[in-house]
Amino acid sequence: ALLFLHPIIVNLNMDSKADMKREKKDEESGGNPYAKLDVTAVLQECRAFNETPINARKCSIILTKLFHLVQQGDNIGRTEATEAFFGVTKLWQSKDATLRRLVYLAVKVLSTISDDVIIVTSSLTKDMTGKEDAYRAPAIRALCLITDAAMLQTIERYMKQAIVDRNPAVSSAALVSSIHLMKKAGDVVRRWANEVQEAASAEGHMVQLHALALLYQIRSNDRLAVNKLVQKFAKGGMRSPFALCYLIRIAKQLIEEDDQADSAFFQFIDSCLRHKSEMVVYEAASAIVSLPNTSPSELAPAISVLQLFCSSPKPALRFAAVRTLNKVSVKHPQAVTSCNVDLEKLITDSNRSIATLAITTLLKTGAESSVERLMKQISSFVSEISDEFKIVVVEAIRALIARYPRKHTVMLPFLANMLRNDGGFEYKREIVDTLIAIVEENPDARLAGLAQLCEFIEDCEHPALATKVLHLLGREAPKTANPHAYIRFVYNRVILETTQVRAAAVSALAKIGAQCPQLRPSIEGLLKNCLLDSEDEVRDRATFYLSVLDMAPAIVNSLVLDTLQSSPAALERAAAEYVENEEAHSNKFDLKSVPVCSAPVAKKAKTLLAEEVAPAKEKKTAANATAAAAERLSQIEGLTAGLGPLFKSTLPIPLTDNVNEYTVQCSKHIFANHVILEFEVKNTLNDQLLEQVNVSLEDAEGEWKALRQRPIARLPYGEPSSIFVLLPFPQSGAVQGVLGATLNFKVKDVDPSTGEPESDDTYDDSYVLEEVELCVSDSVQPLGKASFGPAWNALEEEDTVEETFSLANVSSIHEAIKKVCGLLGLAPCERSDIVPEGRNRHVVMMSGVFRGGHEVLAKANVAIDPNDNSIGLNLLIRCSESIIAEILATAIV
Amino acid sequence: MLSMINRVLDWIRSLFWKEEMELTLVGLQNSGKTTFVNVIASGQFTEDMIPTVGFNMRKITKGNLWDIGGQPRFRSMWERYCRGVNAIVFMVDAADEDKLEASRNELMQLLDKPNLEAIPVLVLGNKRDLPGSLDERQLIERMNLAEIQNREICCYSISCKEKENIDITLQWLIQHSKTPR
Repeated sequence: ALLFLHPIIVNLNMDSKADMKREKKDEESGGNPYAKLDVTAVLQECRAFNETPINARKCSIILTKLFHLVQQGDNIGRTEATEAFFGVTKLWQSKDATLRRLVYLAVKVLSTISDDVIIVTSSLTKDMTGKEDAYRAPAIRALCLITDAAMLQTIERYMKQAIVDRNPAVSSAALVSSIHLMKKAGDVVRRWANEVQEAASAEGHMVQLHALALLYQIRSNDRLAVNKLVQKFAKGGMRSPFALCYLIRIAKQLIEEDDQADSAFFQFIDSCLRHKSEMVVYEAASAIVSLPNTSPSELAPAISVLQLFCSSPKPALRFAAVRTLNKVSVKHPQAVTSCNVDLEKLITDSNRSIATLAITTLLKTGAESSVERLMKQISSFVSEISDEFKIVVVEAIRALIARYPRKHTVMLPFLANMLRNDGGFEYKREIVDTLIAIVEENPDARLAGLAQLCEFIEDCEHPALATKVLHLLGREAPKTANPHAYIRFVYNRVILETTQVRAAAVSALAKIGAQCPQLRPSIEGLLKNCLLDSEDEVRDRATFYLSVLDMAPAIVNSLVLDTLQSSPAALERAAAEYVENEEAHSNKFDLKSVPVCSAPVAKKAKTLLAEEVAPAKEKKTAANATAAAAERLSQIEGLTAGLGPLFKSTLPIPLTDNVNEYTVQCSKHIFANHVILEFEVKNTLNDQLLEQVNVSLEDAEGEWKALRQRPIARLPYGEPSSIFVLLPFPQSGAVQGVLGATLNFKVKDVDPSTGEPESDDTYDDSYVLEEVELCVSDSVQPLGKASFGPAWNALEEEDTVEETFSLANVSSIHEAIKKVCGLLGLAPCERSDIVPEGRNRHVVMMSGVFRGGHEVLAKANVAIDPNDNSIGLNLLIRCSESIIAEILATAIV
Repeated sequence: MLSMINRVLDWIRSLFWKEEMELTLVGLQNSGKTTFVNVIASGQFTEDMIPTVGFNMRKITKGNLWDIGGQPRFRSMWERYCRGVNAIVFMVDAADEDKLEASRNELMQLLDKPNLEAIPVLVLGNKRDLPGSLDERQLIERMNLAEIQNREICCYSISCKEKENIDITLQWLIQHSKTPR
């Protein structure tokens, strides 16, 4: 819309006689003549629409102003908008082409904020079928926007004609509008499939793309139909490069979603590598390299196409190629190595974005020896590139340090230099995160890294980053030979900074004091100074730490070094419940009753070894699943009564394939003595209504028995709903179990278009689901400890359960540790899950909380036998309740 | 003789479109508004019109003829298009007894609007060719037109199909145009 308005803005400026004066004024107000518009004044001006004869020029300018206001988010009341809209309808009498096109825009802009917009239906219908080609496409777009499902029937005939119209602009407008209409009236649009099919073989390149996109939308609910669609067009008939690109994307999605996808799809994408359009070739190459499970021979042709593009004279192609190679280099570094020579050439590319991507790709794939040279190259122009690409550079450095830890001597000064230069918050945060990761994971670089960070916080404009660094200093400084050297840096913050940084500095001081007894007297002196701070938060922290620091080591440990074990939201809910429930007041508030979860900060910190290509979906962590589930379950009446607070919720596990008639996924909600199984059921058949949907569970061991169940009364097509089954934990103390599950329901046939039952007849049906597994880790909440040793020693008098296992199906120590943590449901502490390279023996320390609030600690000694690569595990578990330690040991089989 | 009459009608039609006037045409759905516009515009009568969804606009030399849809959801918008016009034409299906009351109520509601004070109204009883249709006198009585005060009101019985009384209708409209005579 803005492009379209531009000429008018220009005209306005030319109007002014005192051009110079005007220009000066424009400069002051940022050059926008609409900057100081007033809503009321513009709405007043809209009265000009009702005048006869119409002054087309004047009305065009008023409309432009109106659009600007709406675009800026100015609030126009419904009455005023409706008034303006009916004024706009009067403008149809003008024959001025510019004004008419603005009228179409106005209909679209006002369609949501004005009443009765359907009044222009007839006028738009006339324009879309009229002789004036310039009016037809915009009229179609406006008409489809204001039409609802019922009205659509009346214009259906015209839409069908427009879809197959010979004018490509008209056809495209009709197709794209239909794509939007799919959301409002999918069943009507589906009836146009034949016309869309015809448009797909039309001349226009854009028309083909839009027709294909709509065909895909129409069939997207039906996998088989999508398969057929791709098969048909893959054979030929698509001349439009745009449409081919779209087809490649659909084919790629089909391959990604289904392991057994037709190999013809891959062949099709592969054949596109030899297409004459560069766009199609690139799309195919980029699709192939991003596919999972591709073999080197499948990958090679795609990579060589990208390699060829690297030396193209077109910057856009070079950029696309190097950007894709950069992404691939994470997953397939070997494959990209073959492009190194071409990437080397791009280092000096005049386009800095291309050069940056080339260098960072080389950093990921190149040999250790070339690092220095590349770093030198990149530092020559790092100040010239945008923050976005600087972040790419930092990410590459981060990956590089993970691979070549010894290179930190080159990297640290480089990062420090970048940190000192100008840059936005995102960029600075990326550097700080990288430095923190280096300090935490690379003991050799700790001193140098901490020194750089200390210097950084001396002059840091982002409080969020300063607090992050202070937190790190509190944890890492005591591990250095000279902890007192850092006290000055931390205490400087107390004197100079904003409240949140001062508070963080106080906490950091206390942490250093807690871990270094020899420094405690001087730290206590500093904390006393903080008692006079102007802010509550800082004073409170200082007072608290001063009184705690002199207590027994175990208390210092849990109060100063460990973070809060429960999420603030859960704590707040538990406290509120306690306050409301008068009967509970005879007992003290028990912190153990609050669901535990580790501090979110600890979770988010990426380690250097974290896989960079981890899918974005993983963001849904168990921690926020629990919080959300607690909220949801408490709203269902009578479901959780008497069960106590929710301890933990697992992420949903599918019990059916995605492509089945009914899809079911199961989440487990664990309480102190009960578990609620939630079966989320979705009916994917649009001709069925399910009633009385319930689940029957069967335990071969006879341990688990459902106490009660909340079935789904009515399950219409496409609306997921949940069954809840309550099971008590068995008397025997068992926590594991495998339950056979069957879905039972009554089926009513319904009319797919309306969802209304065809008759009252029902028939019983059932559907076997995959087994539901209850495991030890369900009863354990992983919770890392900042310092494991003291906590371990504190449980010394308890029995230690010791077991030794030989692990099958694992090939490395790292994998074994991951698996053990997963089975036990414990979190590794002090980053002991990172296995130094070349070791064949490693000890990992783990901690967590068992349901009921019992702390569980474990040490696992994992060793690999270099002769036969077999892995042995020695597990020590301590808990205040020895029965729990024994239960945990049963997790590993 | 018939061609003579037609020629006279054509001449009056051509006069009408040369006038300067704003004119709005309202009335219940299926009373024949769009058909009437077609008849006075081209002289052609077409049966089986599709219902008007919104409005049709016809240009007069200086001014416009607004033909607004008669379905219930559009009736609240009639007033917006009647403001400030030279005359309102209210179309009634004279052969549809069942709808007469609704038609009367809509007309009264419309004329009660303060914005439309004193605007002349022409009530047309269309479809006089159909058996059992009401004539002017019956229509005036059934529509309570005699009660309407403080504005000029006129009623004709017409047939778009047979082109009966179209000439006097046009003459009435020409008389109410802005063009000085």
